[in-house]
Amino acid sequence: MATPTDTQEQSSDGPLQRWTQSAIQNPDKVYRALFYAAMVFFLVTTLFPFYWLIVLAVTPEGNLLSGSFLPTVNLFGVSGTFPLPVPKGFNPGAFVTVFEQVPFHLYMLNSFALAVTTTVIVLFVASLAGYVFGRLRFPGRALLMLGILAISYFPPAAFVIPLFQAFAGNAPITIPFTSIPLFTPPRLLNTPGSMVLPFSALFMPLSIFILTTFYGQIPDGLEDAARVEGTTRLGALFRVIMPLSAPGVATAAVLTFIAVYNEYFFSSIMATSPEAAKWSPIVGGILSYQTQYTTQYNLMAAASIVGVLPVVILVIVAQERIVSGLTSGALKE
Amino acid sequence: MSTETGRESRRSGALVSVMRWMENLSDTQYAYLLLIPVFVLLGVVALYPLLRTFELSLFAISADFSSTNFVGAGNYVELFTGGKNRYLPGGTTFLPEGFGLGALLNSALVVTIIFAVTSVLFETLIGLGQALILDQDFYGRRWIRAAIIIPWAVPVVIQGIIFFLMFNSNVGFLTPPLADLGLLAPTNTLNDTASATFIIIVADIWKTSAFMALLILAGLQSIDRGLYDVAKVAGATKWQQFKLITFPLILPTIGVAVLFRSVQAMRVYGIIDTVSSCTVVPSLSCMVVATFTTREGTSAAIAFVTAAIIGIVVMGLIAWQGEDAI
Repeated sequence: MATPTDTQEQSSDGPLQRWTQSAIQNPDKVYRALFYAAMVFFLVTTLFPFYWLIVLAVTPEGNLLSGSFLPTVNLFGVSGTFPLPVPKGFNPGAFVTVFEQVPFHLYMLNSFALAVTTTVIVLFVASLAGYVFGRLRFPGRALLMLGILAISYFPPAAFVIPLFQAFAGNAPITIPFTSIPLFTPPRLLNTPGSMVLPFSALFMPLSIFILTTFYGQIPDGLEDAARVEGTTRLGALFRVIMPLSAPGVATAAVLTFIAVYNEYFFSSIMATSPEAAKWSPIVGGILSYQTQYTTQYNLMAAASIVGVLPVVILVIVAQERIVSGLTSGALKE
Repeated sequence: MSTETGRESRRSGALVSVMRWMENLSDTQYAYLLLIPVFVLLGVVALYPLLRTFELSLFAISADFSSTNFVGAGNYVELFTGGKNRYLPGGTTFLPEGFGLGALLNSALVVTIIFAVTSVLFETLIGLGQALILDQDFYGRRWIRAAIIIPWAVPVVIQGIIFFLMFNSNVGFLTPPLADLGLLAPTNTLNDTASATFIIIVADIWKTSAFMALLILAGLQSIDRGLYDVAKVAGATKWQQFKLITFPLILPTIGVAVLFRSVQAMRVYGIIDTVSSCTVVPSLSCMVVATFTTREGTSAAIAFVTAAIIGIVVMGLIAWQGEDAI
């Protein structure tokens, strides 16, 4: 970059020099430039991996292993490596093969069904709890909230062994530390139950805290008015408080849906075989392009793009809800 | 549903009597009644498994796999003295067997801690940068924010596939340039413990910085803008404004965010399973999953130690942050 003395000496300065000089007189311009540089940097780093998926997905299968994705370019006699990977050929057929080879749409449907079921359960149970914690004063309130928070801190690994045994349905469940049998659970492995149950417990604390915040903000007068009008206690919750807190409910719903759709731990363990008919979600679907003998890189990339589209759309549509939910839920805890 | 009129209240349906009974409960009774679903769900899916895991960790399977015997704290003692290492996959140890890099990265405990500390540190720094950008007013802010949040919403399996495809020995284009810099092993990158750990940390930073950014952004937006006007009048530079106003005011928020992320980072499993494998990059959750069908007692002991470590981290951070953290 040009130094200030340079710019003063040369009257025929280029645009860069002119900019530098004005920047020295006005430091805000430098901050502005730094700001845009940082913004572009963050945009490139967050979006580049998706670009790479597209590059791989449209590269014809035959060209995948030959040559480099970083082409050598010859610019004015200087040859160098182009810093960005480019597709080796163009064949969007992978986006069709993805569904032909493996029923990927069925895996996605499974993921959707699991996410929607969990969201409905979580919203119902967390609404009751959010009402209690947000609007009622009773002994043990703080202790119970702390208990729920503590449970949300435990790693899924601390739950998985007994849950797997219970869902296998081979032996009766006994009261811990005794051998008194309670009942023999049905075999739930490879069914939605074995995933929806742990998901609901795992993701409920966040929804409880979000809804506690939102339900607590509704003025008491509105609930009292509804009660005077003759609504039952539960009616006041579901007909007055919940509709008035619609943004909060939507926030909890979006976050729960995304959390279930993204979950890996229980999704990969409770669906013991990666078959769509056995309720395996996208985890099983995407990994089935990688077998012991072949790995179809372009199909994996295409499946990943298809699998990520629902959440990308959800983020773009519901980003306000996500932002407010993460902050109110996580920070108020 | 309504019981206000005489005609309806004379109705003797079960629903009506339940409703009437509910109306007459005290606040405390009503609160606990509404919490029953939460208690049942968390009791069945969290509390029972937790207690049962602890119970299982006190038993060991006999040498001929015919019976399980009560060993008390035996599993824990063996875990910390190295006796359980032979059951862990791929020659992994629980505690490190030396202080060389190889020995450290072969230990499930050390790898988990390295992963958590490094990824959370960088996520906080990058998240702070992203939050400072998103805090500005500029045209198209909504779209930039969406773009920055998207990695957070990407399913773990797809995040894993992305980084697997970037560093894979057949199609991965990033391995040669980074190997030239000495950051990665040039061949067999994803089966090299140090390289794979590095890649997994980068993958986690890519995905979760946005989460940190959103939490910190909430802290930034609660700062009174008038403070900056005062600072400007007093002639403070941008750096002084950041150091003396912004940073002290968002420190509590950063504390909570770090607590939250550390707890999540200690659970790492999915990204390791997709990018590399549990035998190459051993984490505590990995060891639980790898052993739970064959060695219940060992697996349960590791699971319980993981939970205990997370508990200690939470207590430590809460003690450091004071009451603000809850």
